[in-house]
Amino acid sequence: PEVPILERKNWLIYLLYVRRDYEECKAVIKEQLQESQGLCEYAVYVQALIFRLEGKIQESLELFQTCSILNPRSADNLKQVARSLFLLGKHKAAIEVYNEAAKLDEKDWEISHNLGVCYMYLKHFNKARDQLNNALELNRHDLTYMMLGKIHLLEGEVDKAIGVYKKAVEFSPENTDLLTALGLLYLQTGDYQKAFEHLGNALTYDPGNYKATLAAGSMMQAHGDFDVALSKYKVVASAVPESPPLWNNIGMCFFGKKKYVAAISCLKRANYLAPFDWKILYNLGLVHLTMQQYASAFHFLSAAISFQPRMGELYMLLAVALTNLEDIENAKCSYEQAVALDRCNPLINLNYAVLLYNQGDKEGALSQYREMERRVSAVREGSTPDFDPEQMVEVAQKMGAALQAGESLVWTKPSKESKSKQRAAGPGKSSSTQQPLGSNQALGQAMSSAAGYGKTMQLPSGAGTPAMPAKSPSLPLEPEQDSETSPEENSAPAGDE
Amino acid sequence: QRGPNTRGASAGGMGLEPLFQAWSYFRRRKFRECADLCSQLLERPPSEQGLDSEYTVFQAAWSLKTRALTEMVYVDEIDMDQEGIAEMILDENAIAQVARPGTSLKLPGTSQGGGPSPAVRPVTQSGRPITGFVRPSTQSGRPSTVEQAIRTPRTALTARPITSASGGYVRLGTASMLTNPDGPFINLSRLNLAKYAQKPKLAKALFEYIFHHENDVKNALDLAALATEHAQFKDWWWKVQIGKCYYRLGLYREAEKQFKSALKQQDMVDTFLYLAKVYLRLDQPVTAVNLFKQGLDRFPGEVTLICGIARIYEEMNNISSAAEYYKDVLKQDNTHVEAIACIGSNHFYSDQPEIALRFYRRLLQMGVYNCQLFNNLGLCCFYAQQYDMTLSSFERALFLAENEEETADVWYNLGHVAVGIGDLNLAYQCFKLTLVNNNNYAEAYNNLAVLEMRKGHVEQARALLQTASSLAPHMYEPHFNFALLSEKVGDLQRSYTAAQKSEEAFPGHVDTQQLLKQLKEHFAML
Repeated sequence: PEVPILERKNWLIYLLYVRRDYEECKAVIKEQLQESQGLCEYAVYVQALIFRLEGKIQESLELFQTCSILNPRSADNLKQVARSLFLLGKHKAAIEVYNEAAKLDEKDWEISHNLGVCYMYLKHFNKARDQLNNALELNRHDLTYMMLGKIHLLEGEVDKAIGVYKKAVEFSPENTDLLTALGLLYLQTGDYQKAFEHLGNALTYDPGNYKATLAAGSMMQAHGDFDVALSKYKVVASAVPESPPLWNNIGMCFFGKKKYVAAISCLKRANYLAPFDWKILYNLGLVHLTMQQYASAFHFLSAAISFQPRMGELYMLLAVALTNLEDIENAKCSYEQAVALDRCNPLINLNYAVLLYNQGDKEGALSQYREMERRVSAVREGSTPDFDPEQMVEVAQKMGAALQAGESLVWTKPSKESKSKQRAAGPGKSSSTQQPLGSNQALGQAMSSAAGYGKTMQLPSGAGTPAMPAKSPSLPLEPEQDSETSPEENSAPAGDE
Repeated sequence: QRGPNTRGASAGGMGLEPLFQAWSYFRRRKFRECADLCSQLLERPPSEQGLDSEYTVFQAAWSLKTRALTEMVYVDEIDMDQEGIAEMILDENAIAQVARPGTSLKLPGTSQGGGPSPAVRPVTQSGRPITGFVRPSTQSGRPSTVEQAIRTPRTALTARPITSASGGYVRLGTASMLTNPDGPFINLSRLNLAKYAQKPKLAKALFEYIFHHENDVKNALDLAALATEHAQFKDWWWKVQIGKCYYRLGLYREAEKQFKSALKQQDMVDTFLYLAKVYLRLDQPVTAVNLFKQGLDRFPGEVTLICGIARIYEEMNNISSAAEYYKDVLKQDNTHVEAIACIGSNHFYSDQPEIALRFYRRLLQMGVYNCQLFNNLGLCCFYAQQYDMTLSSFERALFLAENEEETADVWYNLGHVAVGIGDLNLAYQCFKLTLVNNNNYAEAYNNLAVLEMRKGHVEQARALLQTASSLAPHMYEPHFNFALLSEKVGDLQRSYTAAQKSEEAFPGHVDTQQLLKQLKEHFAML
């Protein structure tokens, strides 16, 4: 009789494992372990791998530890032990074991990569970055790029993150995750051309990609192609029927097409699914302002403010709602808050000026008007027009005339071509790290409704004051862009019986 | 000393004969007075009783008292459908163990009617959306093992606390014991049933007394058997009664035979309903629907039959068909509470709170005045943006709440309103009050955990979510939230198990599937 060889069935175990025939594989492993009295390293190893695939990390950790006892000189076993520790959330212990493993094998990209990820969870970003760069030097890998980009984003360095993703896309141009991430970053910085390019690439490789579709759709919305955007959304809507961002964007598409009731029902569905999302609340407030339902608008806007208190536009819209609810004192307070929070949006000042003027406070109106002029010229120099000038200019000119400040008007009506150029450039928020939202035209709309209010209120009998024009919204309204998926906690209202 | 008729004196004051007076009381549904008067009549010495040849005053009073006592505790047998734990698990009456989807009531989650998903409409047990109207026979899912049935809350499966076996039906009988301080009216063991079976006029009243008042199914069956024999099997009424007895005893096939034979003699709505009940107990919803449709051919536009069809569709999760039939009910009877409530809740959960509001206001108009209605009105008002009515409705609901569970429901919904207006502190207080009133309110635990998470208290959130998921394993939200939380801190094993449970509770949830996919990638990667 021959002496039993410990490892003689490894080929079979391996074959069954890579064929994903786990049941059969387990049977062979059991047999092999009985024969070898538990000393067959490979059998234990594969058993642990199977456990891990089944989600039993604790068991797999124990088996990998057995493996590393059986063969203490193997970096692989230590790596697996560390990986199991990582999966259990014990990042510090994992780092220690990975360091052990690194002593045995210094030229392994996986060890560096995983160390980087562990450091990231522990929020040691510097160390994490070093480790990930190290991993890249050893062996370039998509995942490493992803993690590196994530760290840059966590630290708030968008430019560096873009650089990392750019390199990654060069390295593997067909990875849709990388393409989408890069496209989203471009979108965030306002580089629409490149964003569109990358998102389009991602969609070519994977037409049903939810993230890319949402981002591409929101870009189309920004340019007014509501029907195209809607058709894009239709593709993913059946796959993701309960996504708040999707319903939000669809709602804003309808809003753009002036189908306000449909917009409200879409937005309300989104709000039902994600009650904590302030962007949806903001949009609901906006739509209700447009519908001249000021009580509901106030309700949604104040809810949005309590979730996102540091936002000038919200206070401005709230003030518009309050003006229409005949609560002038609070409207003034709200405008003050808006002016204090937002330093570059001229619309706030204009709206405030309109309110003050209607209240007969010419002096205050004039000072707000000057402030608006200053902001407008500042924005001009910055060459990021954050508003659509046409409608605003009209109101402002009337206002200026009324205030006898007409000579110092800093602008004339922009010519058509410059306007279209601005339109193509699109809006881009300079200050905030969050996604650009709301929009000039939308706000212009809100403003015009405030102006309309001014008409119905009796103007103070001054000398030859022209009536405020009640402009109907003639411009396409822009939706906010909202491209991140937010798996919100759902909690449906119960208690109906 | 009590005279022959102290009470009769007042009756006599009006110059009425006591038996006539008793009969008049009975017709005006004053059963207590009727029974008392009959007792006095029965106490009279036999000599005073005018002897008729066949049907004496004594017998008349006896029969009248029997009927009065029965009517006091009468509950329609059709709506009495309690399944105890034993019937749910240990009883195997269904023929097909693995039925095709859409042909059985025991397979929840086979929604083909396009109703709202669990992400929108809350569910009671796995897959069955909560209904708009709770009947005594409402089943919402069934436990698979005895252990599970005992561990789940007692009202989770039926409208009232479930018992181990529903053979008892005792609560009705015990209520009536109090009416007779000197023992039961009729001693069943001393009754010669064969003699009574000869006299159909007495026998029917006696049977109803035995069946509804005493809940003695065996004696009732004996009497019915003798009586139907005496009637030479030509009286459909006795057949239906025998069928009822068999149904109570759990002999469904025998009951079916009797009901069918009764239907052959005489078409009655009652018989159709009883037969459908038998089929539902045998888990044959399609047969029951066909039977109802057959009944509708005989009685076009009969509300109870249409409503029966709608209930079956609702139990099979075919919400859109159910809504159609409920609408048919409303076309016939526009005050049908069940149909209005079901359609209302259906509209509420399919993004039409305004229409739901109109349905619930209709209920209010009709004079329904209870906690649940105002609770629903408040919710509808809030989601339909009728802010002036919202809080006052909830206040009234709180005022009308009869027990702590109802109060908890109202506070829970108030918490939702608070979230809606963005006042998270108020929401926190509301959910806490929910838990004070009902310590096993899983939804409130989940929502509290979400609020805690927003404040950054991870450990508290985790504990609350664990409580919620152990209280209500059929809800996907706590599982999914727990999975997300664990994934965020890096504990992928717990995240995986929680996500698996979430998928089990709500198989179509996209975010769960994405999370699972992501986790599996982590596990597969070397």
